[in-house]
Amino acid sequence: MKIKTLLVNMTCALGLALAGSASAQEEGGNFVYLVQPEPPSLASFLSTSGPIGLVAPKIYEGLLDYDNDLNIVPALAESYEVSEDGKTVTFKIREGVTWHDGEPFTSEDVAFSIMEILKKVHPRGPASFAEVTSVDTPDDTTAIFNLENPAPYMLRALSGYESPMVPKHLLEGTDPRNSDLATNPVGTGPYVFEEWKKGQYILLTKNENYWKEGLPYLDRVVARFVPDASTRTAAMENGEVMYGAYGAIPNIDAVRLREMDGFSVSTDGYAMINPMALVEFNSTREPFDKPEVRKAISLAIDRNFLIDNIWFGYGKAATSALSSNFSATGLYKAEPEAYPESPDVDAAIALLDEAGVTPGDDGVRIKATLDLIPYGEDWRRAGEYMKQALMPLGIEIELRYEDVPTWLKRVYQDYDFDMTMNYFYQLPDPVLGVHRHYATSQIRQGTHFVNSSQYSNPELDELLAAATTEADADKRAEIYGQVQDILAEDMPVMNLFEMEFLNVFNDKLHGHDASALGAYGSFDQVWIEK
Amino acid sequence: MSQSSKRIRYVLKRLLQAIPIILAIVVLNFFLLQLAEGDAVDVLAGEAGSATPEYMAELRAKFGLDQPLIVQLGVYLKNVVMLDLGYSFRHEMPVSQLVFDRFIPTLILMSSTIVIAVGFGIILGLIAATGLNTWRDTAISVFALITYATPLFWVGLMLIVVFSLNLGWFPTSGMENFAMFYSGWDRVVDIAHHLVLPTITLSLFYLALYTRLMRASVLEQQGEDYVTTARAKGLTERRIVFVHVLRNALLPVVTMAGVQVGALIGGSVIVESVFAWPGLGMLAFEALFSRDLNLLLGIFLLSASLVVAVNLVVDIIYSLLDPRIEVS
Repeated sequence: MKIKTLLVNMTCALGLALAGSASAQEEGGNFVYLVQPEPPSLASFLSTSGPIGLVAPKIYEGLLDYDNDLNIVPALAESYEVSEDGKTVTFKIREGVTWHDGEPFTSEDVAFSIMEILKKVHPRGPASFAEVTSVDTPDDTTAIFNLENPAPYMLRALSGYESPMVPKHLLEGTDPRNSDLATNPVGTGPYVFEEWKKGQYILLTKNENYWKEGLPYLDRVVARFVPDASTRTAAMENGEVMYGAYGAIPNIDAVRLREMDGFSVSTDGYAMINPMALVEFNSTREPFDKPEVRKAISLAIDRNFLIDNIWFGYGKAATSALSSNFSATGLYKAEPEAYPESPDVDAAIALLDEAGVTPGDDGVRIKATLDLIPYGEDWRRAGEYMKQALMPLGIEIELRYEDVPTWLKRVYQDYDFDMTMNYFYQLPDPVLGVHRHYATSQIRQGTHFVNSSQYSNPELDELLAAATTEADADKRAEIYGQVQDILAEDMPVMNLFEMEFLNVFNDKLHGHDASALGAYGSFDQVWIEK
Repeated sequence: MSQSSKRIRYVLKRLLQAIPIILAIVVLNFFLLQLAEGDAVDVLAGEAGSATPEYMAELRAKFGLDQPLIVQLGVYLKNVVMLDLGYSFRHEMPVSQLVFDRFIPTLILMSSTIVIAVGFGIILGLIAATGLNTWRDTAISVFALITYATPLFWVGLMLIVVFSLNLGWFPTSGMENFAMFYSGWDRVVDIAHHLVLPTITLSLFYLALYTRLMRASVLEQQGEDYVTTARAKGLTERRIVFVHVLRNALLPVVTMAGVQVGALIGGSVIVESVFAWPGLGMLAFEALFSRDLNLLLGIFLLSASLVVAVNLVVDIIYSLLDPRIEVS
């Protein structure tokens, strides 16, 4: 193959999509779903905050979308082509798409969105588009991305959730951080923003001019905010809402609804998010500066106990620094020695002895504080389990549960912690979601969800840099193999388990699982059985 | 001077006195809120996933959080005096608009609760006191004790289970069925329908208080000399209770109601949360956890003003109930 060409033909894909689910869909209806908590704004180009992701991608779209097998599906880009050296990516932009205010969508909007918005003010955009030096727009339907180095991960970051295309004509010359679009969004997506009643709901209506023929089916989409978890469940049971994702219905209620007629539970739609529960160690503090101590703790934890008893069986024990979801791209490598199937207290104690961390007169080797991510009761219970599980090792844990701003400041600004329980999104590529944990360059005081362990290993840094620009899939897999070996040995972050968030939905609802993005998708194919 | 002009002068004087009180409340709250760790930028950046320190510094400059405290306070007070409550950077909206939008649902819930709690409290208290030590008295006292001792959120959830899920009489949550686009009277009926369960939940708690208070108050009045006199004059028991005792017995209940209006705004967080009622309590709760200072101060300012206003109204009601209490 002389020139590496990847072409996706949209007419074909759309034809298949329509043929596959022909006739059954019913038009019309109001779809009410749960969003919790209420989003601070709808500026998905400024913030990747979860609740924003539940609403904004219905309004804004990306260049590409991803199906449930993680294949790339065209969206605002009809097709794309990567040059042989991997340094030029040419997107063919769809013709005839208009913004909700009637203006045409062109390659100019793409160039502006990437260079002026996502690269500058988006939290993850600077990483996703780090290699993009410029975007050329020879005509309205062509956008050429010029890259410094190949960036294979970039094509995984072009969904409407991760990298929304925003209207140039409304943002140019304004301060995007202070834009009216934050509360009054204008996109190209299947639903048009109508009204936001603070404390109650966001109402979207059908985009009559949507570029996908015959879509969407629904007349209205309503995102409802219900603060109390039990009431959310009652509203679902009563048919007042039809869908809740990302833990809107707590697992304890989800397993009950699962057994009832008319409701179902699924775990699809999180493969692009890849949430991983974990513990970050402060590697500058004794005795957590010793890799043996960190590894000993990993050996003593029964990950399946956490999953079965606290998360009601939803989750998968971690076996490496990378989620096993990366086996789809060949990057995952199991590390059974550091992540044993069942806990091995004896080996853990041996490791502690080896590191010279010996018990005092009272039998206690280490006294430490475990901070808990303030995102709900499950984490508290997990903390209580950790406290018990580490007791046989002579590690005495004190639990600390604070509110979100206090906890964030403690961990990422003041570095005033021993261990903290947390969860990270590993995202569709390790470059996007995993490097931020471990790279020396990611020790960025005051920045949230980066290398709070302050772990620094030049050898690892080199491997991470190589993996970022390596275009060859096999070589890339090999590099990540080494990365995982090093991290299994050093373990600045101890992964607990791959989280499985739950979608709970009314059985009358269909088409909500059309995209790999699940609840962060556009809902363009959702329809309700009357 | 006539009674009415005296009353107007009194109201004006009280209002003037209220200004320094409210300002003091604002200043005090301002400093109290500074004690919380982290600020609005930490929360916004934390939710956003990742943000650079430069970006956060920029945000702080934009919000005015990089200024010395005393300057921040000065700016805020200046704005308040000009009736500008500032801007909520989290919601990207003026505070006054946010607070006003949420004040209406709070007002609806609060007024219906006060009417039900005070109204039924007075009736039940009166029934209990007039039938002292009979089965009526015992039943009402036990009822009051139980409702007072039951946690609000539990009552709310149980009402949802029984009346929404099992009987299907009322919606589980929210203030209106927005998907139906009701207008006019239909909308009023729809909101009233949604209002029933939250009002009952919140009323039950306060109802107990007013029942006990009314009962004690009536019993106390019945021992007074004027009741003996009335009885000696040969008035019927009914007339004694309704014309003489009731009026006097109401005073403590009205006092209590005035004090509790303030508490109702704060105390309804639980009910608002359980029933997803879009009121001020939830807004304040969220504002605290997102360190949205402007918004919180705005809410405090409003509730402080409300308490001051209600107390004034209570004082006036006093003088109507009991002309011996003069306004001066």
